This record gives sequence, C-alpha cells and structure tokens, in this order.
Amino acid sequence: MNHKFSILIIEDELHILNFMRKVLTGHDYKVLSASSGKTGLDLISSQCPDLILLDLGLPDMDGVEIIQKVREWSSCPIIVISARTSEQEKVLALDLGADDYITKPFGTSELLARIRTSLRHSNKMNTDSPLFIKPYHAKDLTIDFSKRLITLNGEEIHLTPIEYKIVACLAKNSGKVVTYSAIMLDVWGPYSDTDNKILRVNMANIRRKLESNPAEPTYIYTELGVGYRMKEDESDS
Amino acid sequence: MKNLFWRIQKNNYCITVFFLALATLLAFLFAHIIPGNSPNISLIYILALILIARHTDGYRFGIFAAVFCVISVNYCFTYPYFKLNFTLTGYPITFLGMLTIAIITSATTTRLKQQAFIIAEREKSLMEADKEKMKANLLRAISHDLRTPLTSIIGAASSYTENSEVLSEEEKQDLVSQINDDANWLLNMVENLLSVTRIQNDSSKISTSLEVVEEVVSEAVQRLRKRIPYAQIQVSIPEAFLMVPMDPLLIEQVIINLLENAIIHSESTKPIDLVVTDDSSQVTFHVIDYGKGLKPESIPSLFDGQAYSVSSDSRRGMGIGLSICKTIIQAHNGTITAFNHDDGAEFCFSLPKEAVTNES
Repeated sequence: MNHKFSILIIEDELHILNFMRKVLTGHDYKVLSASSGKTGLDLISSQCPDLILLDLGLPDMDGVEIIQKVREWSSCPIIVISARTSEQEKVLALDLGADDYITKPFGTSELLARIRTSLRHSNKMNTDSPLFIKPYHAKDLTIDFSKRLITLNGEEIHLTPIEYKIVACLAKNSGKVVTYSAIMLDVWGPYSDTDNKILRVNMANIRRKLESNPAEPTYIYTELGVGYRMKEDESDS
Repeated sequence: MKNLFWRIQKNNYCITVFFLALATLLAFLFAHIIPGNSPNISLIYILALILIARHTDGYRFGIFAAVFCVISVNYCFTYPYFKLNFTLTGYPITFLGMLTIAIITSATTTRLKQQAFIIAEREKSLMEADKEKMKANLLRAISHDLRTPLTSIIGAASSYTENSEVLSEEEKQDLVSQINDDANWLLNMVENLLSVTRIQNDSSKISTSLEVVEEVVSEAVQRLRKRIPYAQIQVSIPEAFLMVPMDPLLIEQVIINLLENAIIHSESTKPIDLVVTDDSSQVTFHVIDYGKGLKPESIPSLFDGQAYSVSSDSRRGMGIGLSICKTIIQAHNGTITAFNHDDGAEFCFSLPKEAVTNES
C-alpha cells in the first residue's frame, strides 16, 4: 500500500498511548499522538488524520466537546475509548457523532478490527454511489438490499417490514455499534417514542428467526445499555 | 390528614392552643346545654390537659395548660361566673390535682420519648458498626486476593527483563501469558469492586431498567469467552420474550462470576449449563456444573465472603466474587442459593419480575 492511513491518538495515559502507538505502527499505520484535548484539536485541524482514537477522560477538556468541535467541519471517523461502566457517556458520544467505541481494557486484535471497520465505512462514504449498495454477507447470512431479500443457509427468511428495516440499518453499519436511538430514528422516524422497548421486542423476534440460539447470537450482538452491533460484513474485506 | 396532624404535633404551641380552645369551646357548649354541670366541665379540661402533656415536649406546656385550665374553670364555669374567686372550698386541691396530672403525664411522655430516641441511636450505631465490620472484612479479603496476582505479575515481568538472555522463547511466552492471566483476573476483581460502588453510591438503591434476559445472558457469556477462551457453556433460555427490571451490568457481573466460579472450581471439563427458567412472579438463572460439587459444610457461609481461604489455591478463591453476587442480587430484591445436585454443584438466583421500587 503506497498510502499509509494516519491515525491520531488523543490519550493522556502515557503507557496506554505507548502500547497503542507500538501496535499501530507495527500494523503499518502512521501514528500521531496528543496527550491533551487542545493539542489534539490543533493536530486534527493541521494534519487531517484519517481516523481519531479519542479517550473521553482528558485532563484539560471533556472528550465529548472534542467530538462536537470536530463534527462541525469534518466527518473523519472517531473511535471513542472509554471505561466499561459509563454506558451513558458512550451513548452520548455516539449520538454526538462518534463512529464507534472501544471499551478499556481492550486487546490489540479488537483495536485493529475497530479501526479497520471505521476506515472501511469512511471509505465507502467517499466512493460508493448511493444507487448501488452491495449485498451484506457474513457466514451463512446474506442480505440483498436491492431485492430486500434475506437468506440464511440459502433459505429465505421472512421478516416483517419493520424487522427488515432494523436488520438493514444494522447491516449497512456492520461491525459498528448502532445506538438504540439511532436505530429508532432510522426505522420509526424522528417522532418515535423515546421508550426503546418496541425495538427490543422486534430484536428478540429477529433473533428467533436468524440465530440458532438467541442466547448465543452469531450475527447481531448486544452492547448492553448502548445498542446493537452486527457482525462485520465479510464480502469486501 | 395524617400529614396535617403530624405537622401540628411538631408545633407544641399549636397543640396547646388547639386543645385548650377545643376544650373551652366544648365546655361552653356543655355549660349552655346543661347549666351548672361543673364536674363534667372539669373532666373535659383534664382530658385536654392530658392530651397536651402527652403530645408536647417538656413540662412547660403541660404546666401552662394546667394553670390555664384552673383559671378558666374558675373564671367561666364556677359561681360567681366571669370572676376569679379562689376562696371556694377545696379549690387548692383542684389546682394541685390538675398540676400533678400535667407534671406526671409530661414526665412519662418525656421519658418515653427519650428512651425511644436512645434505642434508635443505639440501633443506628450498631448498624454502622456492622457496616464498618463488613467493609473491613471486604478490605482485608481484597488486599489478600490482590496481592497474590500482583506478586506473580511483578515476578514474571522482572524475571523477563532481568534474565531475558537465559530464557528460551517458550519460557518467555509462558511468562507473558502468565502476566496476561493474572492481569485479567485482577481486572475482573476490579470490575467486581466497581459494581459494589455502583450499588453503594446511591444509598443501596440501584437504578433498574427493563432488560431483555437473552441479551444480558448472551453478553455475559461473550465477555467470559473473551477472557477464558476454553470455556464451554451451554445456554438455554425460554422461547418466550422476557424482560426483567435490573441493572444489566450488575446482573452480567453476577452471571460472569458464577460461570467463572463453575469453570474454575468444578475441576471438570464437562460443559457448564446456564439455564434460565421463567415462572409467573420471577425469572431464575441456574448455573449448573458437573464437577466435584460443593463441600457441604461450606455451603451456609458460601456467600459471606469468607470462603476464599478454603481452597488451597487461594487466589482463585471466589469469596469476594460470591459475596458481591449476593449483594447485587439482594439489591434487586432477589434471592441467590447454592446446593449440590447428583452430579456437581448448582448456583441459582432469581429476580422478581415486578419493579424493585413499587411504592414511588
């Protein structure tokens, strides 16, 4: 690859920064780093990185603020790094425009997978024409968006229109977490109820149709308190 | 109504004025209907006096009421009407009687109130002491449990850096994977402790939301698989769509603790069963292993946080884990039990389907 992707890490813990820098340089990314929110913002506007890894707990400013500032002028993918117990924070960051999050502590493979997914989605936005959407394919599941056809092991799966919309919304963002509110907005529109129970019920029905054991899902994972994540699309990676 | 009365009770002046006014009103009514019936009128005042002494703090109001009663009876209801006349025979006795009633009642009430206060104080301090003891126990257990893996991590890391030229590649791999294991174990421990602070942050009330059982179960199993890749778990949940009010992260932690406990302590390679059953009032989660079972004598104290030293490999003891499970389940108004079945051990906990906070 002649063009290296550049990744900006905004993280104030030196050890974590070092570890991420080693991993990412080892995997052929160009790494920039900032240990405070202010230098981070400066680097974003001067270097225009391809992806930002952002720790929410920074000493000088709230990470959420950075997301808002960046989103004013750039659609550069942002992956938020956060602690497990603060699901409220994650939801807020995602709803403000972060692309995905990764929970501390994380392994290298998880980090790399998240980065790949986010970069791929941002590339798609730049190049794909909206008229043609490639079918989603993972394991035995295929979704043909143009025919609105879902097949599992070659057999057609019958979903209600709402269920199809939910699955399509997740599949188009496959590999990324999609918050409850984002799905609600996509499927039921802006005037939908704030209570997401209807989504949960529909999801349970979808799982009963798609998964062999709904308690051990292979396609649609739950991110407790945040949303859902669909298995990464395997067709174009 | 009750609230109103309570507010009146808080204000001694109000009570005194209220009862005296009521008594005087009744007395006038009485005197109007049946003239010349002063013994009954005195009775009304005595009653008012007792009530005032009973419901006010200290002696002042009772004594004031007694004086007021005597004067009022004298002035309004005994001959000569509307004139003070203390020369009537036996009047000092009436006066003394009223005063004594007031003082005795006030004294009794005051003492009763003081005693109730002292008892409440003592109970509170006892509870505090209990809490302190629990905290101290937990701290001791934690520091004990944390020291071992830390020692092993530091040892492994230093032997890696100091002897790196002597060690074979395989030995190095070994040391690193040992560090990884220990660090993961520590992480789980810290997450357990964090969940406890989540409970205690808000005076042991937890914020519950309706959660889908299968989602919580699947997330717990996935997180455990990530940490213990060789874990074999068979999950079975009811076909029906189940939603239970809970704090999902806490319940996830409980499921992970119980599963890890089963994997590590059963000393068996047979898969663990995680079964969810549903009846009308509650949902029950069973973690069933097919290993050596629990020691019968340790079952009663299993959830007390003291069972950790029983096992020879005390680091892997789940004392804290289980006591945290109990704390979490109790905060959900649920129950957790452990027992042996024919072929191993079973832990199960139940969560009520109704919301935890019903009254508000």
